Amino acid sequence: MRRNDAAAPGWLTFRARNTITAYLFALPMIAGVCIFTLYPLISSLYHSFTNWSGVGAAKWVGLQNFRYLLTDDPTFWPSLKVTVYYMALSVPAGMIAGLGLAMLLNRAFAGVRVFRTIFYLPVVLPSIAVLTLWKYIFDPSYGLANEILSDLHLPTSQWLAGKWTAMPSIVVVGLWSVGGSMIIFLAALQNVPAELYEAARVDGAGAVRLFRSITLPMMTPILLLQLVLGLSAAFQTFNQVQVLTKGGPGTSTNLYMFKIYNDAFGNYTQLGLASAEAWILLIIVLTITALTLRTSRMWVFEGNER
Amino acid sequence: MTSAVTTDAARRPAPLTMPTGPALQRKVPLSVSRIAWYALCTLLSVTMLTPLLWMLSIALKTNGDIISLPPQFFPSTFTWRNFVDGPREVHFYRLLGNTFVIALISTFGAVASSMLAGYAIARIDFKGNRALFYLFTFSIFVPGIVTLIPIQRLFFSANAIDTWYPLILPSFFGNPLFIFLARQFFLSVPRSIDDSAMIDGAGHWRIFTRLMLPLTKPLWMTMTILAFQASWNDFLNPLVYLNSPSKYTLSLGMASFLGGLNSGASPEYNYYMASNLLFMIPPLMLFFLAQRHFMMGLGALGMTSK
Repeated sequence: MRRNDAAAPGWLTFRARNTITAYLFALPMIAGVCIFTLYPLISSLYHSFTNWSGVGAAKWVGLQNFRYLLTDDPTFWPSLKVTVYYMALSVPAGMIAGLGLAMLLNRAFAGVRVFRTIFYLPVVLPSIAVLTLWKYIFDPSYGLANEILSDLHLPTSQWLAGKWTAMPSIVVVGLWSVGGSMIIFLAALQNVPAELYEAARVDGAGAVRLFRSITLPMMTPILLLQLVLGLSAAFQTFNQVQVLTKGGPGTSTNLYMFKIYNDAFGNYTQLGLASAEAWILLIIVLTITALTLRTSRMWVFEGNER
Repeated sequence: MTSAVTTDAARRPAPLTMPTGPALQRKVPLSVSRIAWYALCTLLSVTMLTPLLWMLSIALKTNGDIISLPPQFFPSTFTWRNFVDGPREVHFYRLLGNTFVIALISTFGAVASSMLAGYAIARIDFKGNRALFYLFTFSIFVPGIVTLIPIQRLFFSANAIDTWYPLILPSFFGNPLFIFLARQFFLSVPRSIDDSAMIDGAGHWRIFTRLMLPLTKPLWMTMTILAFQASWNDFLNPLVYLNSPSKYTLSLGMASFLGGLNSGASPEYNYYMASNLLFMIPPLMLFFLAQRHFMMGLGALGMTSK
């Protein structure tokens, strides 16, 4: 390369040579975006208007897939409802628990690092290792969950096997990994200028007032980011359902992402329909993100650096 | 002498906490709240760690312990043999080898391609720089499931189903999130470094390999950890692409071994949990060896909100 530069033909300007080098450097990425993002997006948009089993040619059917999903499909609306329910349980629970732990551990006490490490530990573990462990913890007769409940003389539960308890149980598994958002909130808390607290304390503000008037406003940008990421991740939750419940009992945990997976790669392959579902997911996720960002002006504190 | 020491010690805390009076008054309630803080953190830590301890206990139980009712928290005898018999039953070491090969190659691919693209976008002036930036930031927001179906069809047409290519190849084409991190990091490196190297006749390749790689070690260490973890934990892609158990990764192999067990009464849970523990060890080791970079990575991700 060095020799290349030195021997570069005179008619190439410095800027032209830069451009060529830059495109060579970025070539893998440009190819990657084209092959693994742009082409798939166009292809799946096209196939969402077709009837396609994966074998043979796709047959153009216009809006039929979308019409079927919105009006006839017996599982489409229930699975959206279940997904919204999951989102409404898991996202706020995760954010509140994460912020709570972060505030708890935002101290300079001896041993605080040990506690931070312990709370963060489950995040490091492979998702499948964690989920299979929890599946056994929730086993009605042999699991740890009921063992503890009966030791405390409390009524036991069916957990993942119960129609009403399955979804909350999945949320509990997610909360075990709350250390991830804890660490992010902790980093944000440590960026809040200490002078703000000191000044407020001098003015006689109590702990609640400090939280409401300083901590919360200063945290809103990171809370917004976590909210957007959390909502989008909740809509794409798959492993939990695949390992823990397979969508059951009944359709009580049939999350939308799991439905798409089954329509695309399950026993009865309907790639056209699955593509339509995937595009509906894309539109929903983008809408949620846009709406959250739009409303954020009302509650996100913007520092004077902007 | 002694009096000098005591007055010195007595004087020291005051300026550290606060110059105003209330600091000394708060001293007594502070220690009470500190004990409460330790109690709460310990309680939470025990709660977090109990599932892992229980898993260890299951891993050490005899076949008889596993199916005895009511279940006991501690094993009656410590069956260390489970750590030999369990992995053999699960074909653990084959899965481990597969996972390592896939994770190492795809980690290298993702880091190398993303570093190159990040360098080009952040540090080379060229036509189309902005466009490339928008191109990959856009692809960060596209949900994986939308592109998964067409990509699966691509690999299907290329006869690459039930091979490792679909798990490895895409990582060589840049990871949008990593490119974003790399760009942010490269922007923070002073320009004067390249300028003086350019004057000395170095081209971009030379600047990248000789100057930037050593300077950006925290960046690519963080990316390496994130990429390795993502590949190690990936479940959906192996599930979609792999059919023969001999090619499975740990995530897929472990999940399908468990799926084959009868729920609850199966005596093989001790084998499974012993293997599950081994499954958790490589990421745990990575975490403890490179804890600093984990935190740095999260900090970097948090920075994206600003």
